[in-house]
Amino acid sequence: MKGYSSVNEACCLALVSDAFGGHGGIAQYNRDFLRAVAASARVASITVLPRLGPNKAIAPTKVLQQKPHFRRSVYAIAAIWHTLRLRVDIVFCGHLYMAPLAWLLARLKRAKLIMQMHGIEAWPRPTRLQRAAVEEADLILCVSRYTRGAVLKWADVVPERVVVVPNTVGEAFTPGVGRSMRESLGIDQRKVLLTVARMDAGQRYKGHERVIEAIPELVAQGHDILYMVAGEGDDRPRLEECARKARIADRIRFLGAVPPEKMIDCFRIADLYVMPSTGEGFGIAFIEAMASGTPALGLAVAGANDPLADGELGNVATNDQLAQAISHLLAAPRPDPAALSVRTRARFGGDAFRERVSMALDRAQSAA
Amino acid sequence: MCGINGIFAYHSAAGLPKEAELLATREAMRARGPDGEGAWWSADGRCGFGHRRLTIIDLTEAANQPMVSADGRYVVTFNGEIYNYRELRAELAAAGSRFRTTSDTEILLHLYARDGAAMVHRLRGMYAFAIWDDAQRQLFLARDPYGIKPLYTANDGWTFRFASQVKALLAGGQVSRDPEPAGIVGFHLCGSVPEPFTLYREIRALPAGHTQIIDVAGPHEPKAFASLAATLAEGARHAAPPSELAGRIRAGVLDSVRAHLVADVEVGHFLSAGIDSGAVLGVMRDAGQKRIRAITLGFDEFRNTTDDEVPLATEVAAHYGAEHIVRWVNKREFEEDLPAIFEAMDQPSIDGINTWFVAKAAKEAGLKVALSGLGGDELFAGYPSFADLPRWRRRFRIIAAIPGFGILCGTSIGALAPGLARQQPKALGFLRYAKDWAGLYLLRRGLFLPEELHKILEADVVSEGLRRLKPLKHVRNSVSPDPGSDVGRVCALESANYLRNQLLRDADWAGMAHGVEIRVPLVDHALLQGLSQSMPTIRPGAGKNALAASPVRPLPNDIAARAKTGFGVPVGEWIQSATVQRTSQVPISKGVVSRNWSRTVLHACAA
Repeated sequence: MKGYSSVNEACCLALVSDAFGGHGGIAQYNRDFLRAVAASARVASITVLPRLGPNKAIAPTKVLQQKPHFRRSVYAIAAIWHTLRLRVDIVFCGHLYMAPLAWLLARLKRAKLIMQMHGIEAWPRPTRLQRAAVEEADLILCVSRYTRGAVLKWADVVPERVVVVPNTVGEAFTPGVGRSMRESLGIDQRKVLLTVARMDAGQRYKGHERVIEAIPELVAQGHDILYMVAGEGDDRPRLEECARKARIADRIRFLGAVPPEKMIDCFRIADLYVMPSTGEGFGIAFIEAMASGTPALGLAVAGANDPLADGELGNVATNDQLAQAISHLLAAPRPDPAALSVRTRARFGGDAFRERVSMALDRAQSAA
Repeated sequence: MCGINGIFAYHSAAGLPKEAELLATREAMRARGPDGEGAWWSADGRCGFGHRRLTIIDLTEAANQPMVSADGRYVVTFNGEIYNYRELRAELAAAGSRFRTTSDTEILLHLYARDGAAMVHRLRGMYAFAIWDDAQRQLFLARDPYGIKPLYTANDGWTFRFASQVKALLAGGQVSRDPEPAGIVGFHLCGSVPEPFTLYREIRALPAGHTQIIDVAGPHEPKAFASLAATLAEGARHAAPPSELAGRIRAGVLDSVRAHLVADVEVGHFLSAGIDSGAVLGVMRDAGQKRIRAITLGFDEFRNTTDDEVPLATEVAAHYGAEHIVRWVNKREFEEDLPAIFEAMDQPSIDGINTWFVAKAAKEAGLKVALSGLGGDELFAGYPSFADLPRWRRRFRIIAAIPGFGILCGTSIGALAPGLARQQPKALGFLRYAKDWAGLYLLRRGLFLPEELHKILEADVVSEGLRRLKPLKHVRNSVSPDPGSDVGRVCALESANYLRNQLLRDADWAGMAHGVEIRVPLVDHALLQGLSQSMPTIRPGAGKNALAASPVRPLPNDIAARAKTGFGVPVGEWIQSATVQRTSQVPISKGVVSRNWSRTVLHACAA
């Protein structure tokens, strides 16, 4: 978008599916991103327009989250109304499906346009309208290298305008014993595998079933295993049936939706965080686990390579080697939790994230 | 001339680059620099440079690269030659710089420390280099205005890599091989892959005449510092009278050839029977070079025929007192070398075979450096395109501008004269593309036309490739700003497309495969600047005549009057028999031979 005259303190308009008060990885990313933008001295205010979430949400200073409008038409009218009445220097589009609307708003105000790409929504070629809007963006942010590569596959954009700003891990995720949870779950000396992910029938790529299938082999090798699954979803009955068929139902605990304050203990008591997903845009739970001092294992597929840092920070395996990799990691001495946490934060901690967001803002504001 | 490479893990999430990758990329360019190798890492291990050296200026080990500044702040890895390095050295020394070597490489360190990115405006030469600024944590890349020296980059979102060759980047093992449809389509349209595209989506050329900064925020968009069209446009605004043409050519070519003779090793010459190489040879003598070894290719198939360039080249060599080396090549040697040719060919090209053999001959003669007359046709209006394109434009631009008329004509020719369509496939698209300079150029130089691609490529590749490449816009950019005259426009079109993407690239891979630096004094931005004011007064034919007359002892008349021979016919016949798609023994046109050959080349390069 052309014509924006650089100002010291910019006013932002953020179109998001959900952010403050929302659930899931995208809402988390949006919150983290908007907090980092708000922390910038170059930004005066951020008006957030969500489609989902509570009517009133607690947002940081400089951020005003409007009430949500789920219906597309109502949302679009509200977005145009806010755009016309506000000063808007930067439009942040938090999801590809809002790209045409975001482009229109940016055009109306001759504002800079920042597009956010999370994961699977950006992998296939989008509609022509969405693609045209993305190609007009001043900056395209992607959570992983894989998503960046996918965007560059279908978008005719200058590669330097497509930048990776990975997910970040919250300050609360630190190493610890989590003894009370271990006792309350009656875990004793068992080796705990953990997966934190929704169990949606439409998101079977998360890989719960792969772990369930690996457990009999691991047990046969002498590993006394308990598999904890945090998260809810309509695919849970099927997975429970899978466990029964594999005769390991007694080795699985479906924890349901775990509140954030308890999630840290889940990570702490786990011996290995394992999520053999084939469709992660990034996989924030990997870095939450490692920041909590727990080693993580995933498949070297799609965005999961990034939180695992190609095997330098976490562990990567092929699908065929999954059981073998779990066995190897459970048998090996557990890495120093504090050191793992520090290394994770160095790459994905809040400071690194804020720095990248700040650089992205610079890039967007200086775009021709 | 050398091979350079580097890795910079700019993103805080990226791990440290591996030394094995740096060395694998570097060693894939061993042929570019057989005389030495070096590697350097920043203290934090996040940035590394590699270098393979061909020693030409300052033969001592002190001039090895990567070279670190005395204070340790700057590090350079450099491929090419800075021809005005002695002047720059004197200037920098006068201002207090202290030098440890007599190399041109060290100049870059001092100049960057003083002028930053603006240093490129002071350089005369062919170059591609990277400078690391340890204080700023910043990488600076630059490539010469004509794009004589290659520089390819790859950015995966965390880590930035660069190298002199596409294949070297791939050899490192960390760069994606996902195909780039624009590169594939571009190759089929042009016979070479148009920069900045390559066959791979993640790998791009740093465009000619551009610099690029890479810092902790990642790579910034490349910035142009020179443009051939802009140089020509500027010259046209201050056009010189026709009477000055001969004098400007004489003075400019002498100045350029003299600059291109700067070396601490012997500089040889590639001599054909054409005006360009003959004139360069004469001017080499004028510039004071005493011993000149000139190499000419002879083809067995041409012995004792009018196509044989050897007798005339021999006459020119004798005329200027050069030692003449004739290297005979036959079909058998071509077939034997073909696997090595494909191996050395960094990106697919339908040309370059002649350059391969002449560089091979130079190596056999013990030469490391040779001057070539490449670029003379572009600068002195030697190609038929200088007459054809303006004529076609005058005749057809109005009728071609009628909406739908071009398509209708093409369809009619295809239906009524299928034989013509087979023999002259571009005839179908003539009126469709004749409405502007870019379209005319595509017709003149194009291998296939865009609407033919669906016959040889998958529909998705064609649609995505054309969408990303935008061939007409791509070509149009090379005449923006308007060079101000017909000759200037065709000069810009030929120089920024055919010369840059094919001839110069061929000279690079074919020369480097034998460790021979091919210098091109007629491809020199300073020379172009000097002649730009006279460009509107150059007429097709007259420019070459002026070039032939530029040595103190002009070229013999029979050489100056000889029509341009163009592509070596035996090579055309050889490649015809080597194509994978030869289906008929019926003689086919040169254009169709090239089309078939392109399929063979792409097949070999993609393997």
